[in-house]
Amino acid sequence: MKKFKGKITVILGVVVVLLLAAASWYSIVFNDWRLVAPTDFSTCTFTSRDLPMLISGALFVLYVLYLGILLCRAIIANKLRQAEAKTTRKLNPKLGLLGFAGFFGFLGFWTYSAFHAVSPFVFFAFFGFFGFFYEGKMSNTLIDERYKENRIRAELTAHRAAVAIVFLSLILLNLNAGALLGSLEFTLIALTILISLAIALDLFLTEYLLYRYDCADQPDGGGED
Amino acid sequence: MPDFECRLKKYRQLKELTQEQLAQQVGVRRETIMRLEKAQYNPSLKLAVDISRAVDAPIEEIFIFP
Repeated sequence: MKKFKGKITVILGVVVVLLLAAASWYSIVFNDWRLVAPTDFSTCTFTSRDLPMLISGALFVLYVLYLGILLCRAIIANKLRQAEAKTTRKLNPKLGLLGFAGFFGFLGFWTYSAFHAVSPFVFFAFFGFFGFFYEGKMSNTLIDERYKENRIRAELTAHRAAVAIVFLSLILLNLNAGALLGSLEFTLIALTILISLAIALDLFLTEYLLYRYDCADQPDGGGED
Repeated sequence: MPDFECRLKKYRQLKELTQEQLAQQVGVRRETIMRLEKAQYNPSLKLAVDISRAVDAPIEEIFIFP
C-alpha cells in the first residue's frame, strides 16, 4: 500500500511537470511567452490562451502543497516512532562522511566576491554531520535510563558550547558600534559563519559526547565476571 | 562519580545470574549493570528497586551510601 502510494505520488509529479512543460511550450510558441517570461500583470488582460499555463501552474502549486503535507506527516510519524522506540535508530557510521559537505561553506567567499551572495556560508553548518559517525557507532543501542541521562548531559554541554560561541560572537562583532570588521557586510558574513559553525559544533558535540559518556569511558576490566 | 559502595556483584552471583541476564530482567544494557557493579553509575529509584527484586536482596544491602 505504501509502495503504491509512493508510485502514485511520483506519477502525479511527472504528470504535473509534463503538463507545466507542455503549457510553457504552448505559451512560448503561441502566446508570446506570456506567464513564462516575467509578466506585468497591471497591463496584461486575460485571454483564453493563458488557460493552459494558469491551470498547469495551479496544479503545480497544488502538487507542491501535497508534497509539503506528505513531508509534515512523515516528520510527525517519524517523531512518534522515535518516541516509542526502545533502541536508537540504525545508522551507518559512514554517513559521517557527509560532514565533508561543510567545506561547501568556502563557496561563500567566491559567491560573495562574484554575486555579493552570502548564503553559501550557511553550508559550514554541514560540518555537524560528522556527528553521524558517532551516532552510527551508537546505532541500535537499547535506550535505558543511563543512555537517556548521558544524552541529556551531552545535549546540555553541546548547547552550552554553541550558545557561548553565538553569545561571544555577538559581543565581539558589536564592538566599536558594529564596525569592527570595517563594514556591515563583513559583519554579516562573520556572523553567518560563526553561527553556522556553532550549529555544526552543537550537532557534532551532542553525538560525540554521548558516545564518550556512554561507551568510550568504559570502566576498567569491563568484561563479564 | 557516585560516592557509594555497590554489592550488586555479590548478590548477582549468589542468584547465579550473568550481567546479561540481569540486564535483560531489569530492562537495561549489560554495560549499565557493569557500571553499577563498579559503583560508577547512580541508578534511579525504579532501577534500584527492580534490581533488588531481581536478586532478592534489600536495596540498602546492595547500595550502601555513607
